[in-house]
Order: sequence, then C-alpha cells, then structure tokens
Amino acid sequence: MSGYSRSEPLARTAPMEANVRKGVTPASQSHRLPGDGIIDRRLPLQFSFDGKTMTGFAGDTLASALVANGVKLVGRSFKYHRPRGIVTAGSEEPSALVEMRTGARREPNTRATTQELYDGLIANSQNRWPSLRRDFMSINQLFAPIFVAGFYYKTFMWPAKFWESIYEPMIRRAAGLGKSAELPDPDHYDKAWAHCDVLVVGAGPAGLSAALAAGRAGSRVILVEEDTLIGGRLLSDGGEIDGLDAREWLRGAARELVSLPNVRIMTRTALFGVYDGGTYAALERVSDNVAMPDRHQVRQRIWRIVAKRSVVTAGAIERPIVFPGNDRPGVMMASAVRTYVNRFAALPGKRVALFTNNDDGWRTVETIERAGAHIVAVIDPRHEVPAQYQRLVDTYDLRVLAGVVSEVKGGVDGVRSIVVANDKNGLTQRIDTDCLAVSGGWNPNVGLSCFHRGKPTWREDIAAFVPGSAPKGMATAGAANGELSLSACLREGHGAGARAAAECGAAGKPGEASKADDEVYAIAPLWHVKGKGKAFVDFQHDVTASDVTLAQREGFESVEHLKRYTTLGMATDQGKTSNINGLAIMAEATGRTIPETGTTIYRPPYAPVAIGAFAGHHRDENFHATRLTPSHHWAAKQGAVFVDTGLWKRAQWYPRAGEKDWLETVTREVLAVRNGVGFCDVSTLGKVDVRGADAGVFLDRVYINSFSNLAVGKARYGLMLREDGIVYDDGTTSRLAEDHYFLTTTTAKAGPVMQHLEFCRQVLFPELDVQLTSATDQWAQFSIAGPNTRNLLRALADPSEDLTNEGFPFMGAREVKLRGGVTARLFRISFSGEMAFEISVPARYGAAMAENLMIAGKPYGVTPYGTEALGVMRIEKGHVAGPELNGTTTADDLGLGKMMSKKKDFIGRVMAGREALTAPNRQVVVGIKPIDKARRLRSGAHVIPKGAIPGPQTDQGYVTSVCFSPMLDQWIGLGLVERGRERTGEIIRIHDPLRNEDYEAEICSPVFYDPEGVRQRG
Amino acid sequence: MRIACPFCGERENGEFTYLGDASPKRPNFAVDGGESPERVEDAFYDYVYLRDNVAGVMREYWYHGGGCRSWLVAERNTVTHEFISVTAAPGAGAASAVRAGE
Amino acid sequence: MADFSWNVQSPLQQALVPGRHGGAGTQVGVTLEEVRGVSLVQVMARRGRVAETIKAAKKLFSVEPPDTPRAVSGRNATLIWSGPDQFMVLSARQTGDQFAKLTAGFAGVASLSDQSDGRCLIRIAGSGARQALAKFSSLDLHDSVFPAGAAATTAVDHTAVNFWREPGSVDENAVFNMLVFTSFADSLWHTILDSCLEYGVQASVAHAA
Repeated sequence: MSGYSRSEPLARTAPMEANVRKGVTPASQSHRLPGDGIIDRRLPLQFSFDGKTMTGFAGDTLASALVANGVKLVGRSFKYHRPRGIVTAGSEEPSALVEMRTGARREPNTRATTQELYDGLIANSQNRWPSLRRDFMSINQLFAPIFVAGFYYKTFMWPAKFWESIYEPMIRRAAGLGKSAELPDPDHYDKAWAHCDVLVVGAGPAGLSAALAAGRAGSRVILVEEDTLIGGRLLSDGGEIDGLDAREWLRGAARELVSLPNVRIMTRTALFGVYDGGTYAALERVSDNVAMPDRHQVRQRIWRIVAKRSVVTAGAIERPIVFPGNDRPGVMMASAVRTYVNRFAALPGKRVALFTNNDDGWRTVETIERAGAHIVAVIDPRHEVPAQYQRLVDTYDLRVLAGVVSEVKGGVDGVRSIVVANDKNGLTQRIDTDCLAVSGGWNPNVGLSCFHRGKPTWREDIAAFVPGSAPKGMATAGAANGELSLSACLREGHGAGARAAAECGAAGKPGEASKADDEVYAIAPLWHVKGKGKAFVDFQHDVTASDVTLAQREGFESVEHLKRYTTLGMATDQGKTSNINGLAIMAEATGRTIPETGTTIYRPPYAPVAIGAFAGHHRDENFHATRLTPSHHWAAKQGAVFVDTGLWKRAQWYPRAGEKDWLETVTREVLAVRNGVGFCDVSTLGKVDVRGADAGVFLDRVYINSFSNLAVGKARYGLMLREDGIVYDDGTTSRLAEDHYFLTTTTAKAGPVMQHLEFCRQVLFPELDVQLTSATDQWAQFSIAGPNTRNLLRALADPSEDLTNEGFPFMGAREVKLRGGVTARLFRISFSGEMAFEISVPARYGAAMAENLMIAGKPYGVTPYGTEALGVMRIEKGHVAGPELNGTTTADDLGLGKMMSKKKDFIGRVMAGREALTAPNRQVVVGIKPIDKARRLRSGAHVIPKGAIPGPQTDQGYVTSVCFSPMLDQWIGLGLVERGRERTGEIIRIHDPLRNEDYEAEICSPVFYDPEGVRQRG
Repeated sequence: MRIACPFCGERENGEFTYLGDASPKRPNFAVDGGESPERVEDAFYDYVYLRDNVAGVMREYWYHGGGCRSWLVAERNTVTHEFISVTAAPGAGAASAVRAGE
Repeated sequence: MADFSWNVQSPLQQALVPGRHGGAGTQVGVTLEEVRGVSLVQVMARRGRVAETIKAAKKLFSVEPPDTPRAVSGRNATLIWSGPDQFMVLSARQTGDQFAKLTAGFAGVASLSDQSDGRCLIRIAGSGARQALAKFSSLDLHDSVFPAGAAATTAVDHTAVNFWREPGSVDENAVFNMLVFTSFADSLWHTILDSCLEYGVQASVAHAA
C-alpha cells in the first residue's frame, strides 16, 4: 500500500519559489515583510478577529496573520484578566487562545499559533467583557490576593452551601477560558488504525533523517508531524545542510520520502499518547483548516498507530524566563520571533529587545536586522558575548547589556519599554522597545518518552531534562534527546532511524547521514528575576513565581503538590512552557537541586484532544452497534414501539389507533393471548448448538439438573449457577439428536454464557468431546401462545404433522414441515402459561413467518405482542427473569432448589451448599398483591412487617417485578422476601421512600394465574 | 496493548476479555468420593475466592472472544503490562486433552 | 386453506440502497456488495478427530482445509479458517439439503452447524477499500502481512466477524470479504458505509453463483 494521508506535506513548498511574484499586500497587514517567507501571496485570505476584518495569506496561521496585521493584544488571562498576546509560534502556546468559529461550531481555547488561516475565518478573543480593550473583570487584578495559590481551598470555605449558589458561579464568570458551543457538534469525527515498522514522531531535521534512513532501508515508515509542513525549525532558522540551503535540502528530502512507497507522511497529525505494546495515538486535524469540512469528510480523526519501533524526534520547546511583567503583549519567545519573520514574513516588532541567557537566542539578531527592523538591545546575564556572535555586535553596532530584564512597561497594546538591571552593580536603565524577544534555553520534549512512568534525567550542560529511559521499542533523537545542534540532529536522527529499521528486519541500506556544521550551544541557567510586579510562570493558569514560593511556605513542596495547589501546568497546554520553570523556582526556594526536586508524572494526552474525536463515529444512533431481530422491519411497519434490550431493539408493544396509553395497549395484547392467540419475536434469546459425543455429560456439568437423560425430541428447563453457587442464567435446552442439543439462554446473558460455556469446554473439561457454536442469529424464533395456538399451527403446518397433545406433548421438540415447503423447529414450551409453542425458521424467513402467522391466525384474531405483554404474562405465572436472577439469588431463593441434582458434580454445586446460601431466613421469591386493588405496586419498594417502623433493622426484602394484571384486574408483583414462602397470606407493609408511598399488601404464591398449569398442558 | 494469540497472531486488546489468575485449578469433586465435605468445601473456597495479588509475572486467562473464541493462558508482567508468553488452553482445539488439574 | 409464501429477506433489506453514495462527482473509490444466496456451514473437528476431518474435507472439496488463518478455494466452495481445528464452508446455496449432505460427509468426525442465515456476507473492494477498512478494522492489511487468501477472525464495532481477502485478488483489485452476524448487519452496514463515503461508494447486491 502506498503512503496515505489526506494532507499534502509539500503543498506549500512550491510557493517558496512562487512568492517572488508578489501580490499586493493589503494595507491592513502593516507588519507584513516584503521578503521571503513560506506563504502564498497569490492567495490573500480575509478573516475576522473580534469583528474586525483583516487579511492574511495562505500559509499563515491565525497568529502570524495577527502579527502581520500589527495585533498584539489577543486575549485576557484566566484569573486576573490581564491583557495577553502571542508568546510562541507553536503548539506549546499558553497565551494566544481564541474562540474559533461561531454557533454550533464554536470552539474555545484554540491556539492561534496552530490554527491555519482560511478565507472567512472567524475568531474572537475570550474571557473579556464587554470588549477586549475595556475588560471590566480586569478589576480582578485589584483583588489579586484572593486568587493566589490554593484560593479554591482558602477563600470559599464557609458556608458550604454558598459554594453552589454563589462562589462557584461567581468564580466561573470571573475566571475561565472561552465558552464552548451550546449546540450539538454538526461535524463528524472518526478513528482509524495504521500499522508500520518504524514510527517517526516529528519531521524536523532529526525526524526527516530518521525517516529517510528507515525508509531507504526498506522499513514501513510512518512520519507524523503536527505542523502543516514538514521541516520543523528548518522552516524558521534555515541553515546549511550538505552544502545546500536548508530549504533546498528540505525539498530534496521531501521528494525522496514521497518517492519511497513504504513511507507515509502524515502532517497536521499530533502524536498524543504512547500505550502498551507499541500502540500510539495521534490526532489528525483533517478539516480544521477550512470553515466547514467537505461533505463526507471528518473534522478530526484519531489514529491508533501500531509500530514495532518508534523514533521520537519531537524537538524541544524554548522556555520563558520568569520576570516581572513577562506576560505583557509583545513579550515573545525569541524562536517565535524568528518563526514569524522567517517563515511567515510577519514582523512582531520594529524595535526589538532580546533577552537571552544562551547562545541560541542570539540567532534572533540577524533575523531582525535582515528584516529591516532593529535590535535595540541584547540583554544577556552572562556578561559575555558568545564568540560565534561577536561579529554581529560589530556588524549591527549592537547595544549589549549584561544583566536582566526587571520590569516591563506598557499598556494593553503591549510593551513600550523595559527596565534592564545590571545584576552586578544594581544599576538600571530603561530601553524603549515594542517587542521583547526572550530565550531562557530549550527544554527537550521528553513527554512522550515518559508516558510509561519513565523519569527524565537532568543534563547540566544544557540546563534541561532529557529522556531517561524510554518505553520499550522507542528511541529518542535530536533536540528531543537534548542534542540541540543541527549537525547532531541530522546524525542522531539518521542513526536512530537506521537502527530501528534494522531491528525490524529491514535489509536495505540506510544511506549516509546528512551533514551540517557543528554549532556551539552554551547556556547559563536563569529561571527567575525577582522584582516587584507579577512574574508569570504559567501564563494560561495565571500562576506567578510568588504563588510557587507561597506554596513552598505553606508546605506544598512536592512537585505533585505544587501542581495541584497552584494549578501550575494543569491548563490545556499542560505546562509545556511552565513546568520546568515552576519546579526550578521551587528548587531554589527549598534549597534543593532541580533533579532532586524532580518532575511531575507525564501522562497523555500530549496535546488537547476533543471529546468528539475520542467518540469518533460512535455518537447518537451510532453510539454502539445495534442488533435487529428478523421481524424488525415488519414490526416497525405495524407501528411497534421498540425498546433497547442490551444491544437489541425489541418490539415493546404494538399501539393501535385510539389507545390512550401503553397500558391499554399491553392489556389488550395480554387479553388477546389469554383469550385467543398471539405471537412475539423471541429471536433475541441466546441459542447455542451443542454437539459432540459428550454433549449430554457437558450439559450435566454446567446445569444444576440433568440433560444426559433427556430423550431426543424433548425440551427441558435448565438453570446454571456460577461457581460461587449463585444463579447465573436459565433457559430451555432441547435434544434434537443423540449428539446434538440446542441450548437457549436469556437475551441479556447470551454473550457471557457463550464465553462461560467455552471456558468450561476448553479449560475445565477439555477431555469431553463437545463443540459449541452460537446459533442465535441463524434462527428467527417466535413464541405463539394462547388457547388457539394449535388451531393457528394447524393452518400453518403441513397436514401430515400431528400437533395433538399426544403427537406433540408438553415439552416436545422436533422439526415440522410447514405449508409452502419450509421446515421449522417447533418446541412446546410456555413462558406465558398458555398453550404455547416456540417456532423457529432460518432467519431469512423471519419476516415471512410474521406475515404467515398473521394469515394463519386471522380467524382467531391473532395479535402480535411485545416484550411488555410477555413480561406481564410471566409475572402472572410467577416465572423468574432478570430482576430475580439478579446475581444475589440461589436456586432455592427462586423456588427451584429441588432441581439441584445430588447425583453429579456441576458448576456451583459445592459452594451453593454454604451455610449463608442455605440459611432459612433468606429472601425468597413470593407474589405480592396490594390490599387496595386500585393501588399501583412499584418495583424497588421495600417490604417490612406490618406495624414495624421502616429502617434497616425491619427491612425484609423488596419488590422485584410489577405489572398490571389484566386477569386479576389489579397491580401485582414478585418480590424477594425473608422466609417468604412460609408467610403466604400475611399482610405486610410496602414502604417506598423514593416515591413517598406506604401501603399494605398480601404475600401470596408467585403463581397468580392458573396455578395448576392446566392451560399450558391442554 | 497488543496480545499475540497463538492462533491468530498479534491483535489489539479490545478483541480479548480478561478473566484472571490461571493458577487455581477447579477441584475434582467425586460425588461418591471419599473426601470429606469440609475438605471439598475448603478446596472450592480456595478455588473461587483466594487469589495472590502478584506484582510481576502472573499466569492469567484471556479469552479471544473478538477472534477465534479460544481461551488462552498468558504470562504477563502486571507491573509493565508486558506479555511474556501466550499459549492456548488445553481444550482450545480438537486435540485429545486430559482434564486440567489431573 | 390460506397460501403461505416464504419470501426471503436479507438483513440488509433496508440498509443497503443500491447505487452511488458519497464522494465527489462520479468517483467510486469503494465498491460494497452484499452477496446473497450463500450456504455457510461451520465445521469443528471432534475431539481427537482432526486428521479424519481433514481427510473428509479433502474428499468433499479436493483441498485440505486451512490450519492457519487462511481461506482456500476448493471444489464449489471456499474453506475459511475460523479457529483452531475449525473452518467455515462457503458455497452458493442450492436446492436440496446442502447441510444434510455435508453432515453426512463429516459424520462422526466433525460437528457441523448451519450458519447460512446466521451471517451476512459483505464484500469490499476498490482503491479506497483499505483506507476505509482502517476506520473499522484493527487488522494490518498491508500486502506483506495480509496477502491474497489471508483470513482473520476479528472484531468490528466490538462484534466478531470472519474476514478474509479473496484468494487470488491482488494489488488494487484486492477484494475483502466480511461475514458479519445477521442481527448486527444493518448496524454494521451503516458503520461501513459511513467509513467509505469520502471515497465514493457503489453499493450493490450480488447473488452467489
């Protein structure tokens, strides 16, 4: 199979050349650069943000388009409603969260940095009222003390009843993120499986190298990339590989990967989970880049990927530095600044200040200067310009300041100036700037390697955690492994890809690794600049450095406690930019090292996944698979009302015009059966073909009664126990031949009983020659009941069939020929207590059988009846069903104790003899009749002695099944009542606190109707 | 999670049902046998209720109900979820088998 | 006396609407076909009688039944592995008692169960078939793993199905067969159809020959 992905990883590489033919940049894009960028200027797109119309280009994200339009303020923060802007250019974005779309498709908390721009896109800022610029709730900042760490636990303690009515609604209105749609999601989602030898996660230089190596070697490779394009940081930082410009190399790598039929590239696909045995989960955003999915297309799709090996090349995330005012719009990660300029040709600021504690941040200088903007200052706490960047200082006449940023000044429109403090001499100076680029170093993406409780290890030289041990079959490479230089990424990725392929048995050659110059990466860790004003650790949850130190002072020193007490890292971004900073500040406060402090446990999902995507196809009528009986469509045509019985749809009753309610319908159906004849589809009963020389012995062991002595042509009621002595299931089993039994189960237990029987056959009694096949779906089975049953059957059956009491006695079972040439199985069994048969024909004749029963029974007023009438008649006859076979009752409780054979071993025999299961005061099945005949008996009501005060001490049982009995013209029921059989005739009290009812009833025999059983034997 | 059915090959765990510890053997119970009722009852009590809570490799019953309907005995590490081996129950196929526990 | 007609009804009588569904324009990426009029018999070797069962099958179908998950074409029938020491015999339904004939052929060595009405046979083919199948089947259908004639008992929507790739069907012409439980057929058809719609579907009814 060739590679399959709906998205086209290279679709936008062509415009890299095409953008030379520049279109006219609309005026609104005040910060759009004329130069390079991977956007298609021939395709301008219109979009609206907070009702204001703007334009961008194909290839933009919403964030890059906002940057190009000079928008800095994009939202208000969670607790304090502080103005917030765009911080990153990737999926780690903690700040620029917007509400996408409107109406039923409205989706809150969408990261503007990953939302592809499309024509007609509508986005709104969230968590502000009445407008983004004038937000009344920003008054929360004045009440900041009540929103500190643990405020949920401290502030709203008392009185408890205020929680629901006052505190919670108030907090929810004030603090929160976007509003979700209030209508059902009109879009579809699905789930799919994919299989490969080598799964490569992330298509940056390391991932591309890994995929190339494994693909060339001949492995089946899947390369997943959450971005719309492959390339990773190459798209933003460029460089030189194998003597080529990075983008040129990228095009070559892409061409080669696409040419390999064993490589499948899946873009817009974020890996979010690592599960046991090499199973991975990824979310493909199939249609998030359009206003509405194409017809028959899904919005998102979850992939379950089964891979023998995986190479995680998920890169690294640049981390912020925690300093006062670091959340002001216009404060942006340095790598994001470079991405906006180089990839999107959008300029985040014209006078950019750079605050970096590491060499990588210095890359930003050249990007900004070449874009025609200016670096107003570089602030580096290391007091030394890295050697490799010394030339920049001269070229651009850079102002380099040794120190830290200690304050950020500005308004809702963002940064206007910063204050730089020299940490050695304490002097401060103010620098005017409209954008502060920050780099605190890089955190390798260790999450995926830690989902199986792997612990990351600390690497001092890069001041970051790297993967410790990875789940079986997984390797990490490149920046995700702490190797931050391009050359190392290419080398490590290639090596990991080649190794994974070899481990999967690929025999081909992986080729040579691509090469780049080695760069130096040096860093002096800087976590927190102390000063006045809020310094944010977690932008999304508004957790500040002082919240972390407060948590420490209050004793919440463990990182797991810190997380829960402050909610640090618990927002939708899962702390991708904040966790390490938070624990570093905690380490400092407690005087421990960072590795001693440790990380919280990493758990999936790595990226937010919509519940709709998890549900996939399984919603509404497709929530679960359903089963239809062979006469389903016939019954629907008769107007049947269906009820869900497990997965089955069963006809519950067949209403007729003029009937005022279901009770009238059901009563009519019961009377029609008891006075004439009716039929009911009982195909849902589980049916099992039991064959083999030892079939009888086998059934003796699974039933409490004997079946090896059942004559061919006879049926018998059987009861199964669990091994602990409790009743499991019941049903009739017929012997159709010496070595062939036909076993039936209840509808509910058909599946579990089949599994149990297979366990008995394969595990417990493997010495027996017995074979089992489910025949449930093979047969359409109908119960025909009522005094005219025989007349109906005589009309239907071939005249040669003897249906007299002698020719076909009660509990007989055999094949009969029907008129018209069909052979049926006929069983003389009765659930209703009437003269009754069950008849089964191959399922294809099910609908015809229903029609023919109507024809044959017409002279007798034949009436189709549903499960409700079936239930009424079984209660009138005292037959037990699900409510009595409820997992607590013994055979004797059900009045069936005498069936238990003493001559054989059977499942449950020994344990059924235990003292508590044979105690004389057990609750047993009885009949219950209210004294007041007009009173409606309700199931679930308690039984207590007359005159007793209701309570646990006086409770003696409960009502299990109830119905209105047309034969007795009153509500009756079955119940489980202590010593019930000895108490026939006793007046008891029915107590129903749920419905506030209390009345008297009489204990009676459970067989209300025809106790001698004359009718069914007649 | 993936489970390698000895008949079907590796399959996703949704096709399987877990039963539990495969170590306890159902006691033989001869109706007219010489064993005292108490001993039989004790043996069944152990069989039905007593289980070790193993942290490590454990033998377990799994049913491939969404597949070939075979009962399987798997050795699985309860700490890492790794399957060490999966074999068929003695009566899974049609080969002559002796009763388990004998 | 009234006359009784015994019209047969497929479980897909309502769900299957012949014709084109989904897709864009006239594109047909997947063909879905219900094959009606089949005879299907489950054959399970009796304990200790595997060799005799193989012999009996060979006599009836001129081919040994598969002992691994495969489907093999024999005389007038396809034998599909369905579990250890068991297989299904699929053939066109004929007049006369096919089941009795088979029972006689395997008398004493295997237990048979007529499943002709217990399953519904759905065939999936076309350039989009594997992609559509990936949405409801966890099987790896790559040529190297699931070649022509490969079979599996597996689950779709938590429901057991017998699945095999038509022996001899190669490359883009691969044909996948699914036997689904009759009572689930209507529901699974909707799941299958929904999964195929984006590729364009041609749905039809065929009769086993």
